[in-house]
Amino acid sequence: MHLRRLLRKAVLQAALGLLGALVLWPPAAPAQEEVTSSIRRYRERELSTGYYEEYEVKPRRVRPFVGAPEVVRRYPSVTPYRPRAAVEPNVRSRMEDSHAGIQFYELRRCEECHVEEAKHSHTTRGNLTCRQCHGGEPIAGINYYYSPLNPIRRHAYVCSKCHEGANISFATYLVHEPKAGDPATRKTFASLYYSNWFMYLLIVGTLAFFGLHTLIWVGKESYHAMREKMKPEPQAKSPPEKPEPEEPENE
Amino acid sequence: MNDQVRIVRFNIFDRVFHVFIMVTFLIQAVTGMGRLLYATSWGKFVVNLFGGYGGATTVHNTVGILMIIGFVIHIAYVLAKVEWKSWRKSLFDADSLVPQRADVVHLGQKVRWFFGMGPPPAFDRWTYWEKFDYWAVFWGLPLLAITGLPLMYPLAASRIMPGWVLNVLVLFHRAEALLAMLYIFIIHFTIGHLRRGMFPMNECMFAGSVELEKEREEKPLWIARLEEEGRLEEAIVPGPPYWYRVMYFIFGYTALIVGLYLLLTIIIYRNYIEWH
Ligand code: HEC
Ligand code: HEC
Ligand code: HEC
Repeated sequence: MHLRRLLRKAVLQAALGLLGALVLWPPAAPAQEEVTSSIRRYRERELSTGYYEEYEVKPRRVRPFVGAPEVVRRYPSVTPYRPRAAVEPNVRSRMEDSHAGIQFYELRRCEECHVEEAKHSHTTRGNLTCRQCHGGEPIAGINYYYSPLNPIRRHAYVCSKCHEGANISFATYLVHEPKAGDPATRKTFASLYYSNWFMYLLIVGTLAFFGLHTLIWVGKESYHAMREKMKPEPQAKSPPEKPEPEEPENE
Repeated sequence: MNDQVRIVRFNIFDRVFHVFIMVTFLIQAVTGMGRLLYATSWGKFVVNLFGGYGGATTVHNTVGILMIIGFVIHIAYVLAKVEWKSWRKSLFDADSLVPQRADVVHLGQKVRWFFGMGPPPAFDRWTYWEKFDYWAVFWGLPLLAITGLPLMYPLAASRIMPGWVLNVLVLFHRAEALLAMLYIFIIHFTIGHLRRGMFPMNECMFAGSVELEKEREEKPLWIARLEEEGRLEEAIVPGPPYWYRVMYFIFGYTALIVGLYLLLTIIIYRNYIEWH
């Protein structure tokens, strides 16, 4: 008996100690390794050089999108935004002229082919043209290294033309928002997707509950009032028998 | 109307807050919807009333700041009203707007009454839907403020949060605004104007007082409590003067018409409304 209690206590203490050690242990120091298996250094190298996927090692849990290192470090994102995680790798996105070889390209307008991309507030409300951000011919793919919209220089080359002092963090704003309700968005921009569902359920729930509540209530009250109004008539026809019909007040 | 005995229900602060929220809410609704629907002819028309897109944005932002200030003042007012010495009693008594167990019971009774399975609930000073009205605004306002301020200053905001958070905040801002508009224009308006006995208008939020006899039916426990505590006499007030009634009828109906017009717009242009 006594031994079992002692043992249990020891195991408990060991487990707690291990837990504490796990929580308090300093993170592994990436700089000790020569080869970049470390996510952070890999990302920082990508950031500073602009060369992507040079390594065989795929970045592990980190999004393949360039963010602001300090921002990410200080404010870890719970459901990070991962553009195009659900989309096939797009060759044209890395081309200098993303429209090379597309027929009749010159004869048509951007929004005829890029229907979804034309529906964003910078164009519909801010009255911007596509070229104010995407530049003149040839329109480079987003991930083409020298593209002004390449994430490594987007903030400086494009956004700050109008938003003075735009930083990398600012440029992670998605100009062409994905459709929040679209299942593909769950992979590319999870927080937007779940926020959408949350608000959707909140709106539908609130309106359904209180809408029904009000409807039944107003209906029932008018029904009672109508009955009230009808009541005197039979009374007038036969006044002596029924002095006051016992109306079940609540039914 | 004025020959009835009337007792006080809302003091001057409550009424001023209500008028303030009415005016600011409608301005935000109009400028916000105009900008949201800027791609449509209706949106352009509305936005041009405020001097174009930039003008509407300026009005929207300024009134937003005003609302935040008003909300802070309201919090101070509420905190000052609580009697902190006996805070438990002060927060959870029947004069308090804090949701209590009785509200759940009342809701259950009300639903049973809907289906003819029992008597209607006997309410005290605040019914559960009145409390919901209050708390809906109370959490809607901060949500709109917290999501709206970063959108007002996106550059400053991107220093303390990743820029893509703004995408999410836009969604919350629009969806919450839409919920608030739909709730106010459908449910709050129905309860305030369309219920029997209320039509054409429930005046208590403007007059500040209610008819004693009517309230005896609607909120029997409240009146009983006042009588028991001997506070009924001091609660009796004269009715609102005639000119004042005319004024708030005009004001209230203007707000009603603006709201219903916006509701109609939401319904007509629903395919153009993108909350993401
Ligand atoms: C004839 C149809 C057509 C027209 C007109 C057109 N595009 Fe494209 N665009 C395409 C196709 C097809 C692709 C490659 C597939 C894709 O990315 O969807 C493409 C790719 C792009 C890309 C690169 C996408 C990426 O993933 O990096 C950009 C940027 C772009 N277009 C912008 C524009 C702009 C701005 C205009 C107007 C000046 C325009 N396009 C007009 C068909 C068109
Ligand atoms: C405010 C600057 C801006 C404007 C205006 C703009 N774009 Fe873009 N575009 C971007 C950025 C930034 C990206 C990179 C991905 C993102 O943020 O959505 C992009 C990406 C794209 C892509 C790649 C596919 C995607 O969605 O990521 C296409 C295609 C495109 N834009 C087409 C257009 C067209 C067509 C117009 C005009 C209707 C337009 N853009 C206007 C900034 C802009
Ligand atoms: C040619 C000028 C121009 C460029 C370039 C530009 N913007 Fe904008 N941006 C605007 C205007 C104008 C508005 C105001 C539009 C509005 O109120 O809806 C705006 C608004 C915004 C907002 C606030 C959004 C909202 O819904 O209130 C964000 C965030 C933003 N831009 C991000 C960006 C990013 C990121 C880039 C770079 C990819 C960029 N902008 C490039 C002109 C520009």
